[in-house]
Amino acid sequence: MSDLFHNLVLGFGVAVSPINLLLCLIGALVGTLVGVLPGIGTIATVAMLLPITFGLPPVGALIMLAGIYYGAQYGGSTTSILVNIPGEATSVVTTLDGFQMAKQGRAGPALAIAAIGSFIAGCAATVLIAVLGAPLTKLALAFGPAEYFSLMVLGLIFAVVLAKGSVLKAIAMIVLGLLLSMVGSDIETGASRMAFNIPELADGLGFATVAMGVFGFAEIIRNLDHGAEMDRQLVQQKITGLMPTRKDMLDSLPAIFRGTVLGSILGILPGGGAVIASFAAYTFEKKIAREPARFGRGAIEGVAAPESANNAAAQTSFIPLLTLGIPPNAVMALMVGAMTIHGIVPGPQVMQKQPDLVWGMIASMWIGNLMLIIINLPLVGIWVRLLRVPYRLMFPSIVVFCAIGIYSINNAPVDVVLAGTFGLIGYWLIKHEFEPAPLLLGMVLGPLMEENLRRALLISRGDWSVFITRPLSAVLMAAAAGLLVLAVLPTLRKKRDEVFVESES
Amino acid sequence: MPGGKSIMPKWVRCPQDFVGGLVLMGVAVFALWASSDLHGMHGFSFGAGTAPRIFATLLLGLGAVVMIVGIVNDGPGVAHYSWRGPLFVSLGIVFFAMAIRPLGLVISGLASFLISALGSHETRWVEAIIVGVCLTIGCALLFPYVLGLPMPLFPRFIVQ
Repeated sequence: MSDLFHNLVLGFGVAVSPINLLLCLIGALVGTLVGVLPGIGTIATVAMLLPITFGLPPVGALIMLAGIYYGAQYGGSTTSILVNIPGEATSVVTTLDGFQMAKQGRAGPALAIAAIGSFIAGCAATVLIAVLGAPLTKLALAFGPAEYFSLMVLGLIFAVVLAKGSVLKAIAMIVLGLLLSMVGSDIETGASRMAFNIPELADGLGFATVAMGVFGFAEIIRNLDHGAEMDRQLVQQKITGLMPTRKDMLDSLPAIFRGTVLGSILGILPGGGAVIASFAAYTFEKKIAREPARFGRGAIEGVAAPESANNAAAQTSFIPLLTLGIPPNAVMALMVGAMTIHGIVPGPQVMQKQPDLVWGMIASMWIGNLMLIIINLPLVGIWVRLLRVPYRLMFPSIVVFCAIGIYSINNAPVDVVLAGTFGLIGYWLIKHEFEPAPLLLGMVLGPLMEENLRRALLISRGDWSVFITRPLSAVLMAAAAGLLVLAVLPTLRKKRDEVFVESES
Repeated sequence: MPGGKSIMPKWVRCPQDFVGGLVLMGVAVFALWASSDLHGMHGFSFGAGTAPRIFATLLLGLGAVVMIVGIVNDGPGVAHYSWRGPLFVSLGIVFFAMAIRPLGLVISGLASFLISALGSHETRWVEAIIVGVCLTIGCALLFPYVLGLPMPLFPRFIVQ
């Protein structure tokens, strides 16, 4: 217990240094700013802003990136409430009641409750990370290569099962990502693999390059399909009465707590934790409500619960990343990319060797959430005005900004062309309903999986049964297999589709 | 595909998945060919080519299943592709890549802004030029000065 206290003190000591406070603030603000712009999701926002953290020291860069991440999420829920366009999948359910509230002229309370709920959830999740961090790290140190490999398989299966859309196609995307990660030099033999003697490919495909292509450029190209003037039902009424009433608070507090608990649990599980958390929280609220009919007509609990749940899940999803070194979703995969660029290999060693880095980031999340609540509520008016920026001016700006960003990573023009190519590939994937997020996850996990598979088989002297004879690994593999079977079973599929359909009605 | 004309044979009930699976299989075959010169298993230890071949084989199988599902199950046809957006956005990106070294950030940034703006027929040129100039100035201050990321600002022949 004293350990926990000591760690948090260390973390806050790092996070409240003026420079880190400033970076946290800038990150949260810039994240919100870009997250609010319609047509750019959280993943694209983080990918786009990745290069601007390169010049910073590692702690500052991670603090700023974390700020961008939850800032973008906050921005996403703002657009959900004000214009009925979810910034990301995690705030899809927020549109149901949030936009209705906005139509009734109660956009202010909806935004405030979303922020307050997120903050309470963030506090709980920060404590949870601090509590679970150390024991999980110890567990991770007991893991051998076989267990690591099995855990990654489980994580990928989780990501597939919880994600929207076809399970089969998502698995295909993961494998495509794994295959793409093989491009470049082999770690052990140094042999050049599928690089075709292109010097820029010798180091492999840049992670940020691919992410910016399939999320940034592809999204732009797709949005242009519908014409630049997207259908936006902007709430034209003036937003009056920002603060929620006493009744609003009393109604939503229990929902916030339920959402926080649900979100924290679902976030730790690898897979699209934050998305499923918001859906689950909304469905749960609707189930236990005395008048379920109010939902979808501007019930404040329908905003409070999912917003708390997705924020709790978003933060607890740092747990697998920080303790096990395994990114549970595409945004965390981008964080791995950022850490690698700064020369940090995420995993249990980081917790022990660079505690200031890990705890500083955790503490900064709490501070960042506090900043968001203080700064963003008065700024709502500005965010609304931002939404009026026409897409015809926004998309060329994003193209140029992304191009400069990619170029600045390695000063390599080839990277820019590669990102453009991946933009076209991403456009094709969208047209064929292949999700790009699993691809990104596969790309990050590819080298890790290969390394652990190699080691496990070397230790077992080529015996493939090692994955099911070592007890811990066997449990993980069995869980993965069980999940996969469940996901493909028709009854569960139907249930799962229902959850997602509800959001689109 | 009700009403629409399709180049797909009639027995393909979901061209979207059929084509998707087929292309994934193509990628897998290409990867198998591209990694064919790498060493395979060496006793117990993996060669450089082992993992790529495992993943490529998996992708080949999955692509085949996606394709078969596309034959068996009903589903949407291949979506309509537009040419204007992809073409001009790509051109803007490629132009930036070619021009950044010789011409510097200011010229290549503004030019690729205007080229990508061609991707929408709703672009109004006066405001596009104003926004483009402002964005270029902003980026020219942000990246090299505020963020300290070195890149050429002006054409090489002017600086030298």
